Amino acid sequence: MTLTEPIVEGELRFRLMERYRVLDGLLLRLLTEAGMNWLRTNAAVVNALNVFPVPDGDTGTNMTLTMQSAWAEIANLPDRSVGKIAHALAHGALMGARGNSGVILSQLWRGFARSLDERYEVDARGLAAALAEARDTAYKGVVRPVEGTILTVSKDVAEAASQALESGAGSSLEILEAVVRAADDSVQHTPELLPVLKDAGVVDSGGKGLFFILEGMLRAAYRLPLDRPLISIQPLGEMALAEAAESVEPGQDWEVVVDFRPEVPLDLPSFYQRLESMGTSIQVGEGDGLYRMHIHVPDTTQFLPIEYVHTLGTVTNVHLENLMDQMAARAKNAAAPLRLAKVESGQIAVVAVSPGPGLARVFASLGVAALVEGGQTMNPSTQEILGALEDLPTEDILILPNNDNILLTARQVADLTAKRVRVIPTSSVPQGIAAMLAHDPNGDPALVASAMEAALRQVRTGELTLATRSVELDGIAVREGQFIGLLDGRLVVADGSLETAMLSLLEKADASQAELITVYSGADLLPAEAGRLADRIRGAWPKQEVELHEGGQPHYPLILSIE
Amino acid sequence: MPGESDLSGRILISPQAISTIAAQAALRSYGVVGMGSKNLWDGLAGLVARDPHHGVEIHTTADQVVIDLYVVIEYGTRISVVASSVAHSVRYQVERALGMPVAAVNVHVQDLRVSDTD
Repeated sequence: MTLTEPIVEGELRFRLMERYRVLDGLLLRLLTEAGMNWLRTNAAVVNALNVFPVPDGDTGTNMTLTMQSAWAEIANLPDRSVGKIAHALAHGALMGARGNSGVILSQLWRGFARSLDERYEVDARGLAAALAEARDTAYKGVVRPVEGTILTVSKDVAEAASQALESGAGSSLEILEAVVRAADDSVQHTPELLPVLKDAGVVDSGGKGLFFILEGMLRAAYRLPLDRPLISIQPLGEMALAEAAESVEPGQDWEVVVDFRPEVPLDLPSFYQRLESMGTSIQVGEGDGLYRMHIHVPDTTQFLPIEYVHTLGTVTNVHLENLMDQMAARAKNAAAPLRLAKVESGQIAVVAVSPGPGLARVFASLGVAALVEGGQTMNPSTQEILGALEDLPTEDILILPNNDNILLTARQVADLTAKRVRVIPTSSVPQGIAAMLAHDPNGDPALVASAMEAALRQVRTGELTLATRSVELDGIAVREGQFIGLLDGRLVVADGSLETAMLSLLEKADASQAELITVYSGADLLPAEAGRLADRIRGAWPKQEVELHEGGQPHYPLILSIE
Repeated sequence: MPGESDLSGRILISPQAISTIAAQAALRSYGVVGMGSKNLWDGLAGLVARDPHHGVEIHTTADQVVIDLYVVIEYGTRISVVASSVAHSVRYQVERALGMPVAAVNVHVQDLRVSDTD
């Protein structure tokens, strides 16, 4: 639900209009804090607005950090003058600006503050003028402004404020109402101005972030809660069920996940209410009419949510997981230390980037001397890789980046150290593992490196992940919430079922010509489900050897190696 | 500079072409309000000719591209973030157009422009 219409009426609304007729420093403070909190609550939504089908966005996080830095400047400021508070906010935003959107946000605050100058309080007219000055300052910061971004939203916001003033708005609250409505509208229109957004089927993330800040302010005025989205229905692809099992408290003995199609449209408030009476950690996802409900419930009542959902429509899938048991198993696993290969001076050491704990074990067992955590959405810094190799007692180092996004970072490391570093250009985990099989710590570094490069070409890589949005790529139409299969980095299949996507990916990879198919299951995939999928591969390709390993990588339920 | 190809024959991309891509990307990057000059002579030449490559230097070796950007940044923005964002955006645009990695993008902040005093 968004606040695009005034939801407060009558006597209460009259009182609010009076209270917000002019803004002093205290009110601006209250509104800013609310804007920051509402943005933080919705940061994941903003982060998810990325242009590619794999998650890589951080606009929501960057804008939230910028707002937090602005807020820190005024948190202990006793001033009641709106001008002084605004200047302090602008200063804090400038000092803490993160990312492109953070810099633009800090410029908006700067213009806003300049317009308020030394004033003690500001009325509707002054507020509209300050929003116009904010827009002007933001636009001055770039030679060729790109429309369809946060800049456009700031322009539409300023325009709406001045129109509201012309049609007689007398309270800052009315300006704020008009501004939130305009921001929402403007964000919806960004794809029409910026083709890259339209192609990806998303709205601009920076603009959406600005909308949440403004909407948070209005919510505070209406006295609505800011700590969680009223009703959160997330695209299926964004449901982060992995962290659920990290910390389990008493009363969260079972994890229940039910997929269902409701017979009549779901009444969300009462749905949530019923679930809240049963357990905790409730998440609901929707994609294509299919709902997924996630909940943690105490022992002995684990079937209650399933029975309840059953009354609402057709249940298509049920997962029950004993979390207490899983935790115990994890604790046991964690106890076994990772044993990295020992290298001596004069030998060749390998540094590998690994996206998951299980994969780290595989690399360690193959003779990797140092591991750096990293993958698709968590690229390690040059510093991290550098630190890992500087500690090794030998001069000849090979780096396995295992991801295209990390290749350049790895190459930069080579320039930053006195050691002799070679980067083996592995763009996936299976390539890295194949290269490792050709490693010889006692060989000639140049020959070993070229043998490893040759080896990585012997394997084909299949990766399966959830599309976080609808997009058309390489001639394949992907709907949000579908599983997509990438063969050697290229999108080849999209399907609602992981199993079907996996099988057609293997088909495309000519699995029948292969000898060995290795399956690395992701952190989000339940072990029983991984076992079942491996059995499906064995059934479909009986001549091939199929191995299953727990990879533990995030975002990718399955990584397949076909060789 | 030479590019690899499966066909017989080579694709040659001039440093001028690369610098045009780089300059366009830099001017669209937020916080960059102009391209600077390495020295006075360059500055005059840039003013006179409205050179689209102004403020960009391309160094190529056998298989590497290094880009030097001379930029003017808006006073009052966080310079470190603007500089890293322009470097990132220029690298992305050039790599996408060329299909080969850029070894380094160096950003030289030559000046700040003060449009408003707070």
